[in-house]
Amino acid sequence: MATERTIEDSSLGGRIRRTVSRSTVGDIVDRVVSRPLFWLLPAVLFIAVFQLYPMFEVFRMSLTDASQLTQGESYVWLENYRQLFNSERFRSTLSVTAIYSASSIILQLALGLGLAVAIDYGVRRGLRGPLVTRVVVLSAWIIPGIIIGLVWKIMLLETNVGVLNNGLGQLGLDIVPFRSDPDMAVISVIIAGAWRGTAFSMIMFYAGLKRVPDQLYRAAKVDGAGPLARFRHVTLPQLKPVMFVVTILVTIYSLNSFDLIFALTDGGPGRATEVIALAMYKTGFDSYQMGLASATAVVLLVITLTITAVYFVVFDVSEEI
Amino acid sequence: MAGSTDTDTTPDSTRSRLSGSQIRLYFYDAATYLVYALAAAFFMFPVLWVISLSLRTEGAVYSALNLIPSDPTLDAYRTVIDSGILGWMRNTLVVTVVSVLGIILVTTPAAYAFSRFRFRGRRTLLLAVLGFQMISPIVIVLPLYDIMRTLGLTESHAGLALLYIGLQIPFSLWLLKGYFDTIPTALDKAARIDGCNRLQTLRYVLLRPVMPGIAVVAIFNFVLTWSEFVMAYTMLGPAGQDEYTLSMGIYLFDTQLATQWTNIAAAAVIGVVPIILFFVALQRYFVRGLTDGAVKG
Repeated sequence: MATERTIEDSSLGGRIRRTVSRSTVGDIVDRVVSRPLFWLLPAVLFIAVFQLYPMFEVFRMSLTDASQLTQGESYVWLENYRQLFNSERFRSTLSVTAIYSASSIILQLALGLGLAVAIDYGVRRGLRGPLVTRVVVLSAWIIPGIIIGLVWKIMLLETNVGVLNNGLGQLGLDIVPFRSDPDMAVISVIIAGAWRGTAFSMIMFYAGLKRVPDQLYRAAKVDGAGPLARFRHVTLPQLKPVMFVVTILVTIYSLNSFDLIFALTDGGPGRATEVIALAMYKTGFDSYQMGLASATAVVLLVITLTITAVYFVVFDVSEEI
Repeated sequence: MAGSTDTDTTPDSTRSRLSGSQIRLYFYDAATYLVYALAAAFFMFPVLWVISLSLRTEGAVYSALNLIPSDPTLDAYRTVIDSGILGWMRNTLVVTVVSVLGIILVTTPAAYAFSRFRFRGRRTLLLAVLGFQMISPIVIVLPLYDIMRTLGLTESHAGLALLYIGLQIPFSLWLLKGYFDTIPTALDKAARIDGCNRLQTLRYVLLRPVMPGIAVVAIFNFVLTWSEFVMAYTMLGPAGQDEYTLSMGIYLFDTQLATQWTNIAAAAVIGVVPIILFFVALQRYFVRGLTDGAVKG
């Protein structure tokens, strides 16, 4: 249609016909659908309402004394942040989050890489079991987080119902306070988190391994590199882009962990497993201090973005993007 | 070990004297099987144990370590079903299906536009979308609650579905845009010459080749939405128990309703089984989508 029009434009008759055809429904549709805004509008609206505006709002609320209990709010500017950094609770929350996240990232990356290597090796060698292993590990990952928390709560019960303590008891050992001892509770949460999260890094690393060209391995072999040297000098460098993406995503997930911990320990005993997201939620919805909770959310966001920025420098991905 | 594959040596070699590299190969094979076995045990045991617990009589939970209960019973399932878990499952299914359809309807045109149009601000907009993907929804849950309340969308399944659509757009958009990018623009040009406008081009020419991508987006969002807890708990929390989603209901079971571990276990099993079956049936597409979409090395 569009080409026709330009050809006809040269004559007077064509110009008249153009004004007529422009008013037809088909032409109007044609004009509307050739604008990107038509296609983008719904997505842009949804993002504006449910992501962009709330993002501004959380910054703004963090500067106010907003509360669910009272109407209205006034600006207290940085008072919430001052209160936050002076509170014992927040400092403990920060250190719990740091310990939980660091351990989770290391554990999940290491386990994920190990499993991916084992699965890739099995596929290349034609062994039995890679597919079953992959499906089993991934199944753990798609179970709703809240149910994973419950499943591990049941596993770790400190009576005979808890299978781990039951087993230890039959070996003649004492009950281990998996959830009631502050240090053990942190370890329990980390292990349950790894049970859930390892699948993600496994599947990403596996995808990365599959992309390493066979020629590289053969060339390294010709050069006399053994399996370990090949892993170190061929596989790992080739995995760098994947490693970058996985590290960022696992870090974001770990720092923002909520549902699994909510169900497994609810931040307890005391505040031993209270990560930032949990503290934020409770400050907001249990204590109704929306201003303070928003400040907590902003700190969480800033921490996440800062660490992401650090990864960009550490991995030196500038030449790959 | 990746890359230690020696294609020239076969494991079923019957030569009496094994070469050094073959012995090493057998060693790696054995180690790999060990890894498989350990992984299967670690990742499967908790689920098997909870299933086992759910089938026991209340007296049998303290006793034996054996996985298969000596005197299995469905009592726990009866209790859980009487508490309304099937209603929660229906709510979850409705919210999930509506969300997934909405996500596809909104992101397909947008992904098409990002792939096929060249307009001012395109790159900036794309990067902004990617940025939102990096931000966890939990960070904005407080203002979201206010927005949803202002819009009258709390305590409503439709409202929750709208929220899920809003939250899932960035990820789905990126994944689908990647799929559109793999389709040659020659198809668009051919359709254009045949007199198709852009809407017709998408509908009659591009929709078919992009279908695998849409399927991956659908599967992925189905699993995410089905499992989601925080938003559902926050937005539907004030509503009556009948309105709950599965995750919420099961959490409620643990904190308020149940006194017996067998019942909690049965609720967990009912929550897990449908999504695992769904996943095992479709995991091939799921894995493909995840690996295609997220890693653009």
